Amino acid sequence: MTVATQTQGGGYVDRGGGGGSSGLADVVELILDKGLVIDVFVRVSLVGIELLTIDARVVVASVDTFLRFAEATNRLDLYGEDKGGKDLAELTQGVTEGAAKGKTAGALDAAVDKVEEFLGGNRDSEDDEDRREPVRRKPRPRTRERER
Amino acid sequence: MTATYVYGLVPADAELPDDLVGLGPSGSVSVVAHEGVAAVVGDVPTDRPIGTRDDLVAHESVVDRIAAVTTVLPMRFPAVIEDSSVVEELLAPHHETFARGLEALEGTVQYTLKARYDTDVLLQEILEEDAGARELQERIRGKDSDAAYYDRVKLGELIVKALEKRREVDATDIVERIGEVAEAVSTTTPTEPEEVVNAAFLVRRDAAEEFENEVEELGGDTHEWLRLRLLGPLAPYDFVPRGEE
Repeated sequence: MTVATQTQGGGYVDRGGGGGSSGLADVVELILDKGLVIDVFVRVSLVGIELLTIDARVVVASVDTFLRFAEATNRLDLYGEDKGGKDLAELTQGVTEGAAKGKTAGALDAAVDKVEEFLGGNRDSEDDEDRREPVRRKPRPRTRERER
Repeated sequence: MTATYVYGLVPADAELPDDLVGLGPSGSVSVVAHEGVAAVVGDVPTDRPIGTRDDLVAHESVVDRIAAVTTVLPMRFPAVIEDSSVVEELLAPHHETFARGLEALEGTVQYTLKARYDTDVLLQEILEEDAGARELQERIRGKDSDAAYYDRVKLGELIVKALEKRREVDATDIVERIGEVAEAVSTTTPTEPEEVVNAAFLVRRDAAEEFENEVEELGGDTHEWLRLRLLGPLAPYDFVPRGEE
């Protein structure tokens, strides 16, 4: 089976297939966290895994999270001030393009980064910001409303 | 002892892809069958601890490539057992569980759907709707970050709450809509405010295309504010029988 790793047919969905074509973060989440566990398996020495699973589960709305979102909000605002009378569409689009998503990398990504440093590997492209669509000004439709 | 790596379990009569590459030094992958259930096994590196990126990817790749063609119960990484014990300690004593698990999952694959908000779009929306947020933003403006610390925390908290509130509605919407094509759904609680859905869908292999189209259509309808990532077809990681954890 070969499933394309990238979007097929110009769609809006980022695809990751089975069979080794997923990003490391996806793989980690699947095979370390899910799957069948039987008590007969022996303990083996592992590299990096303990560290990774612990970090990946650090969740919670912490002060750091709050500050991150305050920062993101502030960024939107500053951009608007600098440019003066831009309309909302331009404003949001500009920010979308200008803002590195790296700041909002998740806990799991961070954990993967950490382990990859340790393993000396390269990051897969879990994100692909290049293909982001420019946003438009109309309020986003809820899927439910759309269906009715 | 000689150790054996176990990737997963398949029906004994299953035909596996013949070019699977395992994580052991030989790379070989074979099966050990016992009364209708077979363990997919391979060798284990003896000169180093396992858990490298390549090891993880090899495990996933073996299991998911099998899933693409036949029913498989994937093991959690890492599953190492003594060579001599594959039948007598793994397959024989758990035969009933494995056979029932394989039967229950027959003809199905898993898709995992992850949806995240486009943060900037959502922030803009929240600011427009929430006068309190605008006021805080106003107060923070131009102040250095220490002076405005508490206002910043307050604003962030307000935004995070607003995101979580929206998520309740949006996540239900998405899972209900996509779940119509699935046999079962298993959702994982989001770990970040901008994460909307992290859900596994058990889908009949013959409905896989329909499922994919459904997700694609959802992507088209929501692309202005939602980022979708679809993994699959995968082994049914989220739907294996509960083992002893």
